[in-house]
Amino acid sequence: MTIFWFSLKRSFSNTTNLIFLTLFPVGAIFLPMGEVWPFLPYGYQFFGIIVLFVGIRLATIILEDRAKGVVKRLAVAPVTHFQYLTQNLLAFSIILILQSIIVIYGGVLYGHELYHPEWLLVLFISFSFTSLAVALAWISLYRSKETSFLVYMSVIFLIVFLGGLLMPIEAFPDILQRIAVIFPTYWLSEGIVWIVFGNDISEFLLINGVLWLYTIIFLVIGSVRRIN
Amino acid sequence: MRVISTMKFTFFRMVREYITLLLLLVVPIVLLTVFSFVLEGVTTETGEPLINEQNVIFVLVFQMFGGALAMAYIHTDFFTERKQRIYALPFNQTLYAFSIMVCGIVYSVLLGIVLMTFSEFVFGADWGNWLWAIYIIFLLALLSNIVCLIFTFSVNNFKIAERLSEVYGVGFVILAGLIFPVPGNDFFVFVNTYVNPITLAADAIYGMNQSHAGEAWFRSNILLIASGVLFIVMLILGKRKIR
Repeated sequence: MTIFWFSLKRSFSNTTNLIFLTLFPVGAIFLPMGEVWPFLPYGYQFFGIIVLFVGIRLATIILEDRAKGVVKRLAVAPVTHFQYLTQNLLAFSIILILQSIIVIYGGVLYGHELYHPEWLLVLFISFSFTSLAVALAWISLYRSKETSFLVYMSVIFLIVFLGGLLMPIEAFPDILQRIAVIFPTYWLSEGIVWIVFGNDISEFLLINGVLWLYTIIFLVIGSVRRIN
Repeated sequence: MRVISTMKFTFFRMVREYITLLLLLVVPIVLLTVFSFVLEGVTTETGEPLINEQNVIFVLVFQMFGGALAMAYIHTDFFTERKQRIYALPFNQTLYAFSIMVCGIVYSVLLGIVLMTFSEFVFGADWGNWLWAIYIIFLLALLSNIVCLIFTFSVNNFKIAERLSEVYGVGFVILAGLIFPVPGNDFFVFVNTYVNPITLAADAIYGMNQSHAGEAWFRSNILLIASGVLFIVMLILGKRKIR
């Protein structure tokens, strides 16, 4: 588990990462409640955006490894690529899960009305994994850390907006509402709506199932070993 | 005046950078398109289409990040990669730094004008007097460039300076209440009336459209004076770093 501990340490060593990993999620707890929309306080509606950013920040560590030739050295070390990848991802996912726990139970302590905190936690954990997998697949397209982050930032803007996290999806024209289904963020916002209004558990399972389907697809794309 | 001959190349360098084009031109165009789709036909209480307001705000928001380019160029040219070469050249280094800033502003304003014409002709957003709108866009680009350069000169770690420039942009976007509504207490009203560059610029453009010229000039002069004061601060800080 050396790689696991090491990647935990690395994730927290960088100042920017530290801000992303601690300050932003804690800040999200204290955002106010919307009037008509969103149904949960703003911090929880927008937490998905933070999760997406954290995902790419964490996955960039793997990109850094590839750029510095660490992956090449790992190829001759007595560590398989599978071990390297799973231990890294384990560390990242533990960070993301911890973050979700802090945000949700912090909000409960703060006194927000979260309807079903435990289901919200499940939803955010599923989305965290999706975000991580998408980021992993994304960085496999790039060589430069900066470029990948900047372009991903603009992609995040688009999928967050088109997925209906920034504006209610009902306000969109018909065609955009149909297209929205392909974005993982759409399923997150559907999940949030379920938390508030839903009562049929199978719908919630379907939403999580779609998020996990995305996770698996993107993990497969992202886990191919690339040595450059 | 040998610096003038380099400006052409600085400008080419800026135009060539496709990431900037993507972030400051393509993304806003896509967002404008999507927003205009969504907001088509929606009007405010006064009967004015909501597209007008949204388009103006959007173009102004992206001006807040226009300083990043000049910042990156000053950093590579004066502090890291090309430091030795730039200091060995027979021209006035301070003027060269200034020329980079001018190019950054011109480029940022050009992108703003492209976006403005795009939203005016494609979505029919009403920008009012174009010259006035361009002047306001210029003021925002100027302010953003000066603020970014102050960060570059005052913070030793460039990564942190970059993050600070993002905080400047994103922070004011949040304060303006564009992402979620801010509480309506005295502090936020004061900030959004007299301090926040985005709301100042937007109010200046609306004011001129609704023929409150005095109000509009007042807002734009706040921006101008802020740029003037910060420019002196930038000169003092820059003198210590570039000689």
